[in-house]
Amino acid sequence: MIFNEIYGTYYNMLARLLSQAVDGELTEERLYATVQQEGYEESVLTVPKALKEQSWPLLKEDLTTPLRHKPTMPLTELQKRWLKALLQDPRIRLFDPPAVGLEEVAPLFAPDTFVYFDRYLDGDPFEDPHYIRRFRCILSAIREKRRLRIGFAGTHGREHLWNCVPYRLEYSSKDDKFRLISANKRGVLTINLSRITYCQPLGLCAGEDYRPRELSKRVLILELTDERNALERVMHHFSHFQRETERIGENRYRLRLTYERGDETELLIRVLSFGPVVQVVYPEDFIRDLKERLEKQKKLRARE
Amino acid sequence: MAFQELIKNFDGVRSYLRQFYVYGFKSREEYDQKSARSYDNERRRVESWLGEHMRFRRNREGKQVFLSVDSRSIRQNPLYKALKAKSFTSKDVSFHFYILDLLAEGEAYTPGQITELLARRYFCHFPPEHLPELSTVRKKLKEYTALGLLQEEKRGKELCYSRSPETVNLRRWAEALAFYSEEAPLGVIGSSLLDKLENRPTHYSFKHHYLLHAADSEILLHLLLAIDSRCRLELTNLRRKSPGRPVCHRVYPMKIYVSTQNGRQYLLCYHYSFRRMMFFRLDYIQTAVLLEKEPEPEKYESFYRSFRSHVWGSSTGEDFTVDDVEMTLYIAEGEDYILRRLEREKRNGQVIRLDEHRLVYRVRTYDATELLPWIRSFTGRIEALKCSNPHVVRQFYADLDALDALYGGGDG
Repeated sequence: MIFNEIYGTYYNMLARLLSQAVDGELTEERLYATVQQEGYEESVLTVPKALKEQSWPLLKEDLTTPLRHKPTMPLTELQKRWLKALLQDPRIRLFDPPAVGLEEVAPLFAPDTFVYFDRYLDGDPFEDPHYIRRFRCILSAIREKRRLRIGFAGTHGREHLWNCVPYRLEYSSKDDKFRLISANKRGVLTINLSRITYCQPLGLCAGEDYRPRELSKRVLILELTDERNALERVMHHFSHFQRETERIGENRYRLRLTYERGDETELLIRVLSFGPVVQVVYPEDFIRDLKERLEKQKKLRARE
Repeated sequence: MAFQELIKNFDGVRSYLRQFYVYGFKSREEYDQKSARSYDNERRRVESWLGEHMRFRRNREGKQVFLSVDSRSIRQNPLYKALKAKSFTSKDVSFHFYILDLLAEGEAYTPGQITELLARRYFCHFPPEHLPELSTVRKKLKEYTALGLLQEEKRGKELCYSRSPETVNLRRWAEALAFYSEEAPLGVIGSSLLDKLENRPTHYSFKHHYLLHAADSEILLHLLLAIDSRCRLELTNLRRKSPGRPVCHRVYPMKIYVSTQNGRQYLLCYHYSFRRMMFFRLDYIQTAVLLEKEPEPEKYESFYRSFRSHVWGSSTGEDFTVDDVEMTLYIAEGEDYILRRLEREKRNGQVIRLDEHRLVYRVRTYDATELLPWIRSFTGRIEALKCSNPHVVRQFYADLDALDALYGGGDG
């Protein structure tokens, strides 16, 4: 099963400590430093003690070990079955990992066992050779910290050709799309990978030029009434944002979340989907946009 | 008993993780599971594992603890740390490192030889109470063989054990692992593989990334094993309205339905007593026990094939009758992106363009009330809404009036 000590933080931390001990390089200072770095916040209170007092008989008094090899662990059947299942996923071709060693392994699940029922239907063409080539070109540039020259179709169909510094690839499970997060003199650029038609790696970025930038953020404050199980629905729905919730009255809650400015329209329709159980109380321009939509709706209704 | 960072059982902390992460407004007194001391221990543990994401707030109701994570800015789900906090005994940990070390050069030994070599090579350096016994060594060898770490073969009358060969080149999997450990089901397994690498790639981030599913990994694994082997399952399920009284169900599991828009996961199965298809939320399932093989799996899988075309989300409605829904949208010039939006979000339905300004969406579904949140997201463009269940249309317009009143509108 998954909840097993062999996959645990402590076993990984002990493997690192024992590797140093096999090399004869483990000192008291390194022992504490490794536990602090690899363990949980309070591990330092228990792990060094258990090792030094030999209640875990792994280190001798001089911090050497009877182990003859640096610790390694073969893959478990579960880990292999999980890897084998990934080989059936259409996105795996982007990464092209070797199937060697998994020939006789049964996949843990079939791709159609999972039904992503509300995923958008216009996901990226993960099996298109051109898309795969551009994905790998971008990934190499990110890995090597190289500038990129990219050509892409803008929202109105116009072709653009820009130089940029690529920072990361962002995937959305809901959209089933990758986006390139990059920057140039104009600021942060977020471009859907499927829009990119051309990609050429350029020179390496000097240290100062390579400063991953944050997307511009805003705060949204919602108040909600816990009717029709709204509290649970809203909390789950917005749980991927950085947020804080406060009870402000009987059945009444205030939720403060941080979102990225570019996602405002998407957030607006998500708020609307909850109907009257959610009320936006900040910011004003968000409320104004909501009111505009309601006003438009009123006019359409009057025509019925 | 002194505070322990590690835990023997994940069930207790599973519920606290949910409370801290999803809600985060409760004070200590409101956690009614067991005692205040139990709360203190669980809170301290979660803080120890996930300290950098823990936040505190104090108000009239007392101190509130919550987890706050911007899932777009992290590279690894922090909740995986909780699944890596299983406790172990001194024997577990010493046998783990010494048995794998003893067999590292490809040798195969009998349990007796392993016990003797463990004592002679390793445990002789430590106090005698640690010396291994044959029965405990044998048990660990069996356990590690079942996990796939060791392999056994018969030599004469005796079983011999050796390490399983390491044939997978994990370094060449690094990029895939960095992506799938966050994106694939049971990503925590990928995280355990990334832990083996010196350098893990950090080139990926994730939008609309729901983290809490990690807490249900163990349950999901049981469900997948049952689905894969076409076995029946016995579920113990908590009810939302009376969580203190779990209910037992015997089912044939078929699919896992996942929402990419709120992170919830559901088991879709055939319920033997109710004689119908049913959804169970994974976070409400307490235990899942594999039973015997289902002798007629094709029968239920054929039910599923006809069932799936009328499911909008995760509801079967009350009586499996089908509602007809029709929504007409008005789009202004230059708003063709609404057509694209309908096409990508429509699920089972059909989109028809009536004229330059009008789009119609039609769907037949088990529970039309499930569509209401999606329909509301088109507020400002809905010219007409029709449904064979009149309650749906009434509810939509009543909500619209209430929303209008909330923002200072209204007929007056």
